[in-house]
Amino acid sequence: MADIPLRPTPGQPWGKLALLMSLLLVMGMGTWEGYWRSLQYAPSYRGSDGLWALLRRQVDRPGPATVTIGSSRTLSDLNLETWRDVTGLRPIQLALEGTQPRAVLDDLAQHGFSGLLIVGLTPVLFTLPDTGYRAEAVRRYGNESPSQWLGQQISMPLEQVLAFYNFDTALFTVIERQTWWPARTGYQPPLPPVRKLFNYRRTRQADLWTKLDDDAEYRELARDIWREYLNFKPDLPPEDVLRQQFENMLQEVRSDVETIRAAGGEVVFIRLPSNGEFRAVENGAFPRERVWQPIIGAAGVVGIHFEDYPALRGMSLPEWSHMSTRDTDRFTRALIAIIRSQLAARGVERQELTP
Amino acid sequence: MLFNSLTFVVFFSIVLVLHYLPFSWRQKKINLLVASYLFYAAWNPPFVILLWISTVVDWYVAKAIHREQRQHQRRLLLFLSIAVNLGILGYFKYGGFLLDNWVALMGTLGIPWQAAGWSIVLPVGISFYTFQTMAYSLDVYLRRAEPAESVLDFSLFVTFFPQLVAGPIVRPTHLIPQFAEPVTANRQQLLWGLALMTLGLFEKIVVADGALAPAAEAVFGSGKAVTMVDAWLGTLAFSGQIFSDFAGYSTTAIGVALCLGFSLPNNFNYPYASLGFSDFWRRWHISLSTWLRDYLYVPLGGNRKGNGRTYVNLMVTMLLGGLWHGASWTFVVWGGLHGVYLTAERFLRGRFKGARVAQTVLFKFGLALLTYFLVNITWVFFRSPDFPTAWRMIRSMVGATSGGAVVLPAVYVAQVVIVIAGILAVHWFMRERVLEEVVARTRWWVVSTVWAAMLFAIIVTQGSGNAFIYFQF
Repeated sequence: MADIPLRPTPGQPWGKLALLMSLLLVMGMGTWEGYWRSLQYAPSYRGSDGLWALLRRQVDRPGPATVTIGSSRTLSDLNLETWRDVTGLRPIQLALEGTQPRAVLDDLAQHGFSGLLIVGLTPVLFTLPDTGYRAEAVRRYGNESPSQWLGQQISMPLEQVLAFYNFDTALFTVIERQTWWPARTGYQPPLPPVRKLFNYRRTRQADLWTKLDDDAEYRELARDIWREYLNFKPDLPPEDVLRQQFENMLQEVRSDVETIRAAGGEVVFIRLPSNGEFRAVENGAFPRERVWQPIIGAAGVVGIHFEDYPALRGMSLPEWSHMSTRDTDRFTRALIAIIRSQLAARGVERQELTP
Repeated sequence: MLFNSLTFVVFFSIVLVLHYLPFSWRQKKINLLVASYLFYAAWNPPFVILLWISTVVDWYVAKAIHREQRQHQRRLLLFLSIAVNLGILGYFKYGGFLLDNWVALMGTLGIPWQAAGWSIVLPVGISFYTFQTMAYSLDVYLRRAEPAESVLDFSLFVTFFPQLVAGPIVRPTHLIPQFAEPVTANRQQLLWGLALMTLGLFEKIVVADGALAPAAEAVFGSGKAVTMVDAWLGTLAFSGQIFSDFAGYSTTAIGVALCLGFSLPNNFNYPYASLGFSDFWRRWHISLSTWLRDYLYVPLGGNRKGNGRTYVNLMVTMLLGGLWHGASWTFVVWGGLHGVYLTAERFLRGRFKGARVAQTVLFKFGLALLTYFLVNITWVFFRSPDFPTAWRMIRSMVGATSGGAVVLPAVYVAQVVIVIAGILAVHWFMRERVLEEVVARTRWWVVSTVWAAMLFAIIVTQGSGNAFIYFQF
């Protein structure tokens, strides 16, 4: 040991130095937490890839299961607790915001899913060629390391108590979102990131943030962001290529649905409500006879479009796309009743829907 | 397991508690060994077997080399150790690269060659622990060291979790003796170790991932020619990112080891204030550059066989050093450029030896800037996924493209300018100083405040759990 250079330690009064550091840190963190709480942020689960993978693994357990996939409307509009009260079985929520859900549909089909699958179809996302925004979550399920799994377990208790522990309040996200940054000449900004919309529960039920109900300025900010998306004109491939992509998609969906049915499962497609400018653009760019009906027809499944059922209309959608949490109970009860009756009309009875 | 993860916080807390409980020294070492295997298995459990293979082979081979007196037999044994270690490295890291190049070579010769797909997962940190383990057999072969007396100490040397996956690459003569006698950190060492961990994680989470990575990604990932300003900002951002990422890992590793009472050597010494490239390589990834010097450059003859041979040795060492980083020709070019720089510098130093102007502050400052400028050129090849991207970036940086895109928003520009200016200022200030001495001379409440501010920034940045860049090497 004699010839090994040992690291020097700076001469300092380390005891009181560490004590002051701890005090300053606690004060700083308390202030930071208080600041976010003053802006109506509250502790909620992070809608992380790890949480998705955690729930995805629940599907692999034996026994009956209802699984919901889709995009953010599926997350916000379905009340999982109501669903459990009505059917006795809480759905496993695997929808991913801003993400095309066909990769999850295919993943479930390839893994022998045999329960009831509810697919939320948001036309603009369902028809995307790539999985998109949250594709990493699907990969995480297949590749999660022991360290990542444990990290998720450690993170969740913290998520329940810390309001600032949230993707939207990360330091550099906050810095980037400040409005005082000047525009650089020639810089074409990408579409703006969607601001916080939900508070997640551990079940991945996403309650629409009450700030969207209560705060007109924030609600208008959310709508402004949607406007930018709705006005965005993507570079599309030629018409014949698009048609071929659509045909390929129909075949993939049909194949996956058949695989799930062959394993004993059943699939139901739902089109969840939108209104305002969102609905106008959706109906204009993705008319139901050109998107919804061909998909339902190709898949040969029960398809429930909110426009066809008075009980599914008239819900509060503050920013045109997602349902106020207070309406989700009524909506979910009505939806389950319709699913039951539509399946019954086809002679299908599912134990997942039987209380 | 990543240092910048909640899993590590819990893991390290448990390790620390176990290390300070009144167990025997042997039991504490077993605890550390098991913890090290768990640390590595937390990524991909089966790859622990690679650590076991390296451990078993080098343990027995080094003993046999030490016993054997016949030079031919000793050479064969050394060859066995090198073949196993480089064989593992070659299979996992360079297999796909070699196959691709073989197919390309056959193609140029007009021979159609169909190769099976090569989808091997690269074990994290394999280049680091392979080189560390090889150093052990090489030291015994070169009679620089005797074999370890305890298989437990040797296993811990191969696997010691603080520096297992990204260095510093520690020499057996530095680490194995530290396992011989009981050590624990005193209160000062423990708190200084925690402070170093904070500094390292601050560099990684706040500076590298938070402030600089988005700009580097926006420029290098744009897929198109960018303006000269953006090309330089992207490259500068990467220069800061790669330093903060890697030096952040090393500093954290040193802090972790110190909390346990062990001493690891410095791996960085403010390299962006280097005066020339021989100075740069004394300050950047010191444990690799000294490894290459001692086990490659010197055995090749070093500078003992005339100028021409010295230049060849420098080039070979740096080209292989480049290839060590990754199985890609872009890394070879990166190493080659450093070889050219070192060669040119050696030539110029010989030519202008004793020039008085070289002693002026202005000259030194200019030389530091020139060195940093040339280092940035090499980073373009290091960061680019392929040559088209690298050439596009170089053309943008010298203004040889017209109509390049503006890809950085003002916020990224501000972050890069402020942070890179800060890094350069710190490196210049610290060039001739030692961190411990600077901290010792600073008022205690200032140290407290800076420490608290760094911890605060780490927590509120939240971090995305990005792996350290050097894990892939």
